[in-house]
Amino acid sequence: MATKDMRLPLTVVGGYLGAGKTTLLNRLLADPDGQRIAVLVNDFGEIDIDGRLLDSATDDVLRLANGCICCTMADGFAETLDTVRGFANRIDRVVVEVSGVGQPHKVAQWGHSPGFSPDGTVVLVDPLSVRDRASDRYVGETILTQVSEADLVVISRTDVAGAAELEATEIWLSGVTDATVLRAPVPTGVLLGPLLRAVAGSGPSSSRGPGTGAATTPASRSDPTRVSDPEHVTISRRLAGPVTRTSIDTWTRARPSGVVRAKGLIRVNDRPDDRTVLQVCGSSSTVTVDGPWDGGDDAVVAIALPGTPRAALVKWLNLLG
Amino acid sequence: MSETKAGGGSSRTTIFPGRTVHTLDPARPIASAVAVRDSRFLAVGDTDQLVATYGGTIDDTLADKVLLPGFVEAHSHRDTGGIWQFTYVGYEARRGPNGRLWPGCSTFDAVIERLREAERLLEDPDEPLLAWGLDPIFWPGDRLDRRHLDAVSTTRQIFVCHSNMHLATVNSALMEAEAINPDTAAAGVPKDGSGWPTGELQEFPAMALAGPAFRSFFGRQRSDDSVRLFGNAARNVGVTTLTDLGTSNLLDEAIVRQWTSLADDSSPLRVAMFHGALANAPDGDEACAAAMVDLKDRSTDRIRFGNVKLLLDGSIQGGTARLRWPGYHHGGPNGIWLIAPDQYAERLAPYHRAGLQVHTHANGDEAVDVLLDGLEQVQLAHPRPDHRHTVQHCQLTTPGQYRRMRALGMCANVFANHTWFWGDQHRDITVGPDRAARMNAARTALDLGVPLSIHSDSPVSPLGSLHVAWAAVNRLTPSGQVLGADERITVAEALHAITMGAAWQLRMEDEIGSITPQKFADCAVLEADPFEVDPAELRDVPVWGTMSGGVLHEGSPQTA
Repeated sequence: MATKDMRLPLTVVGGYLGAGKTTLLNRLLADPDGQRIAVLVNDFGEIDIDGRLLDSATDDVLRLANGCICCTMADGFAETLDTVRGFANRIDRVVVEVSGVGQPHKVAQWGHSPGFSPDGTVVLVDPLSVRDRASDRYVGETILTQVSEADLVVISRTDVAGAAELEATEIWLSGVTDATVLRAPVPTGVLLGPLLRAVAGSGPSSSRGPGTGAATTPASRSDPTRVSDPEHVTISRRLAGPVTRTSIDTWTRARPSGVVRAKGLIRVNDRPDDRTVLQVCGSSSTVTVDGPWDGGDDAVVAIALPGTPRAALVKWLNLLG
Repeated sequence: MSETKAGGGSSRTTIFPGRTVHTLDPARPIASAVAVRDSRFLAVGDTDQLVATYGGTIDDTLADKVLLPGFVEAHSHRDTGGIWQFTYVGYEARRGPNGRLWPGCSTFDAVIERLREAERLLEDPDEPLLAWGLDPIFWPGDRLDRRHLDAVSTTRQIFVCHSNMHLATVNSALMEAEAINPDTAAAGVPKDGSGWPTGELQEFPAMALAGPAFRSFFGRQRSDDSVRLFGNAARNVGVTTLTDLGTSNLLDEAIVRQWTSLADDSSPLRVAMFHGALANAPDGDEACAAAMVDLKDRSTDRIRFGNVKLLLDGSIQGGTARLRWPGYHHGGPNGIWLIAPDQYAERLAPYHRAGLQVHTHANGDEAVDVLLDGLEQVQLAHPRPDHRHTVQHCQLTTPGQYRRMRALGMCANVFANHTWFWGDQHRDITVGPDRAARMNAARTALDLGVPLSIHSDSPVSPLGSLHVAWAAVNRLTPSGQVLGADERITVAEALHAITMGAAWQLRMEDEIGSITPQKFADCAVLEADPFEVDPAELRDVPVWGTMSGGVLHEGSPQTA
């Protein structure tokens, strides 16, 4: 398995007050889609954990029966990441809450710390207030920067906002950010994407044409790359071997609209002994080397918004070669 | 000699004659001796009269000194002491808390030579060399990088923190150990033409890549030594009461015990502790306020709890303070909020209702607007007389805002040292000449009746109340200009601000701030009379040391 010394993906979640961060974090903890998530928050005050789910608690760390943990960042960010490193073999990923006036894309830089890999900046917006807030004397610039630097924007409060408001918000967002825009609720497996170790074991063998390496749709519920919401489009591909750097560049530039997440564990032919990690989160793509290649498949998985043509995704993944 | 002429009991009375005693107590402004008993002033007067009345022994140590009430630094941080555990490589000369003069390093060669000297003193080859104070602003167009530091050592890790504490430069040995290399993708790790990181690490996520050296640099500032050095630094400049503005996590029992045990009666330390509730209220503000109320009861004579710090914006020189129209003179974007303006009242309210003292950092005038609106809202909902919530820094606070502060019962702690340390930059770059002349408007605050203190924000600028007072009295910049002559205050007003003014804001006005019977026997012991020297030389008045709770603490001998 290509999971040895895997870095923990670190995703940041931001957005102004009332945008729905707490709702989203509580949902991740309650319904982590089989992933063991460490959620880092500024304070426990708003975290709402069902008592039956709570396994143990200390001043700084709550442990849940489903494998998730919740930590406060009271001791500082570097110190909290040290704490999380201590849990590294018991969790799959990290999600960090950023304060309402914080800049998530800056906090996301902590994802480069040893033991972690940056895995996207998610910003929530309230469709009923974000357009007004964006011209507010005090916080307008802050909100515009949050949104424009986001990789994924999630529109919250879809249960109370009318269709016209949601559409107007989407139109407004398309003018201020390149981020991929989703409407809440977003399933955990879509918002965060599959785990890299799932990618490494990607796709049931029956769905792969032997030796062809062509992209396919996962066929079975036991497939580790499945996402819990069947409306979203998931495509995976096992690569035949190392790919060229040029093909990665081409692939990065050719991302079809609607891609929410893509992840790959691959080798590049100029560095065939290293593990190269591809991560797409909405509008951003990162290509990092995080250690030596240690066997397993070269594989890539993509998840896109409902309605995204499968053919476009298949063609996209096939650019790698 | 009789020990018990007044007040009964068996405590010792000591009479300290001085050359002059400026009590700063209008009921008896001048005296020539003080009588001390049980760590407190028993009486002031002249030696003969004090001996005749109270008996006791005479201690002549201060007979040729000028005594003032101990200075009160109302905005400082514990790393004032701890930072001196590391090698200083700043541009300007500074004196460390143990008296050593560290000449400024005005060239890269001087920085390298300073680091080489320090390197030779380290015995363990695995111990990283940690340094601080580097300020690249003085070498425009040229940048110290890993290769310069490699000239110091190719085997020992070197971590040099810049003066703003947001950047560091490291050497190749450290980069090798922590795998900082062309694969490092983090922002804040600039690379040279060869694709290799230059060695500069910008902002905390990048600085943290330095691993153990980074942790050691910031961790050692929490050591017992850092607390002791804080006390030494204060003693050297006549400060008897310090503040720790949010640097220590007071929800951590070990830290609470550290302070209360280290500040014993033999220590020169008296500290008003402020809990940094902005980032450190893990169970919410209500729970944090309740914990602070409990902690307040554990205050000692020397360590005071029950104070909370919040922050609204950043700094003007960093471009992160929130400014009203027309914003920054350099045209940069407006700054950042550390608390959402909508949330300030909500965050303040639990501490206000609990009877705690809240000091809020607000450098820019827009941040002060938010602060005043929030406090007004909280006061209307939960009226509390005499709360004395304080605006920290107040650098661009306008006359209109000072009027509101007065109406709302607030205090101002003005960052007077800025005129000297950044005044030229404010005039030329950050806010332009007119606003720069109005910055840190101590005169306006006093004229409008706002209780005033002035501060150093040490270690942002060096600890030293006489320097702060000098800056407020003269408003001189390093280029020799007077920046805003009309905002200057008098020597008497400045000395009041660094004693009674600060004591008032810390709710300790009945215990410190003047030489008055019943107050703690805290004095600044000076070699010259600040009321007699040329006001332009106020900062040069030599300090012998302090009296803290009646115990003398001579300053460190100054060494080259």
